[in-house]
Amino acid sequence: MIKKLKILAPVRAQADSPRRTSRPRTQAGSLRRMRRQNSKFKFFFILLFAVCCLLLAVYGCTPREERIFRKSKIIMDTLITISAVSDSGDKAEAAINKAFAEIEKIDRLVNFFSGKSEISDINKNAGKKAVAISDETFEVIGKAIQTSEKTNGAFDVTIGPEISLWDFHKKIKPEDRAIKQKLQLVNYKALMLDKNSRSVYLKKSGMLIDLGAIAKGYAADKAVEAMKKNGIKSGLVAVAGDIKAFGLKPDGKPWKVGIRNPRQKTRDDEIMATMELTDMAISTSGDYERYFIIKGKRYHHILDPKTGYPADSCRSVSVIAKDGAITDPFSTGIFVLGPERGIKLLEEMEIDGIIVDKDGKIHTTSNLRGKVEIKGTN
Amino acid sequence: MRLKELTEGTTIADKLLLAALIIISVSGFIFIKKAFPQGTDVIIEVNGKQQYKLPLNTDITVSVKGVIGDTLIEIKNRKVRIKESPCPNKICIHNGWTDKGAIICLPNRVMVNIGGSVGIDSQREDKPRKTIDAITG
Repeated sequence: MIKKLKILAPVRAQADSPRRTSRPRTQAGSLRRMRRQNSKFKFFFILLFAVCCLLLAVYGCTPREERIFRKSKIIMDTLITISAVSDSGDKAEAAINKAFAEIEKIDRLVNFFSGKSEISDINKNAGKKAVAISDETFEVIGKAIQTSEKTNGAFDVTIGPEISLWDFHKKIKPEDRAIKQKLQLVNYKALMLDKNSRSVYLKKSGMLIDLGAIAKGYAADKAVEAMKKNGIKSGLVAVAGDIKAFGLKPDGKPWKVGIRNPRQKTRDDEIMATMELTDMAISTSGDYERYFIIKGKRYHHILDPKTGYPADSCRSVSVIAKDGAITDPFSTGIFVLGPERGIKLLEEMEIDGIIVDKDGKIHTTSNLRGKVEIKGTN
Repeated sequence: MRLKELTEGTTIADKLLLAALIIISVSGFIFIKKAFPQGTDVIIEVNGKQQYKLPLNTDITVSVKGVIGDTLIEIKNRKVRIKESPCPNKICIHNGWTDKGAIICLPNRVMVNIGGSVGIDSQREDKPRKTIDAITG
């Protein structure tokens, strides 16, 4: 600015003063002066324009840096938060919305309580006929059965009749007789999947499929897939406690996930351990999520398919693997198996886990040591 | 040339003033964009479905039907709160007045989002949890 002032000042004086003092002027001289003055003004405005352009360009370039964009929604009766790393909020939001749409679609297909879902269609036709289903529902039931086989029935997708007896909101413990009676309806081996016709058949009337312990993990997988398809290279999908992370954060670090303390006492001990996660999923099943206590005994929602009663050898089980459709059902199955058999199975399968047993002792798979930062459960 | 007529009789100070005014107005535009990045709308969702989109600067009280009953949401003096809720623990009500982020009532499946639907992760907020991106369990 100062430099410009110096240049302008003498010219200005020259251009102004003769107009009032010397008259008449030659037309040619006046024209020349006019042109000179004109070009000076043009130069001035071009310069001004350039400064403005520069300012706008600087402004336009600054948001190019990558940031984490976050959006939450209540779907599948739970809070889902999706984070996407992007240099553009619009791009991130579009991808996040696609991911939410994918989760909504899965919810419509597999919701146990909705009369319109494919699952309720299968359940209504138990003992009657096979029901043709979508690829997604077929895939998730297939994965559930694989988990049942691996855990030797400690996870069972046909737990529905037992689950339906309990009400953890109203704190209703079912009659022992009712629990015993329904037990004969729980058996994943009586669930027939037919690949050719893409259909499912429950052999006994009264059998019920409940995908509550796998659908959220599966939904996290599908949401991540949708985000990747929409150009997001890094993000995190948290379907309640079923979390899947991919890529790295803008600071180049992996995503950090906290594992909830199953017996939180104060505000400061909410987290019992943390671990870094990238291109991996983590799920946790705990006896503190849905429960009630009668005469000092805790009744929670993780039922042992072999007894119909809450499994009582663990407080919390977290499983870490590539897919949410693995971590979600296995965290439930391992919870039922208990710490010793649970750790053994996880190590056999070469997936990682961290278990808090019924006395509060922490067990981890050997591969996990050093990767997880344990703060303790007090 | 019109430009010449327009600028005839202007002094250096005039031009400097003009330049300063233009630069100030442009940077003002940038500043406003930076300082108020998103429109301040209040979006109310039930079970993930949008029920209301209301401006934060208009005082209003609305009722939405959730899965266990009606939640009463109040907007006043550019702040939002859940005034009444049928949920058992009333965590959403204890949240009190807020002008940013979200208020969630999970039992009734009600979510109130303030200031745009996509939140930018700020390193300054949520200090105790700054290092943690999500919690499992």
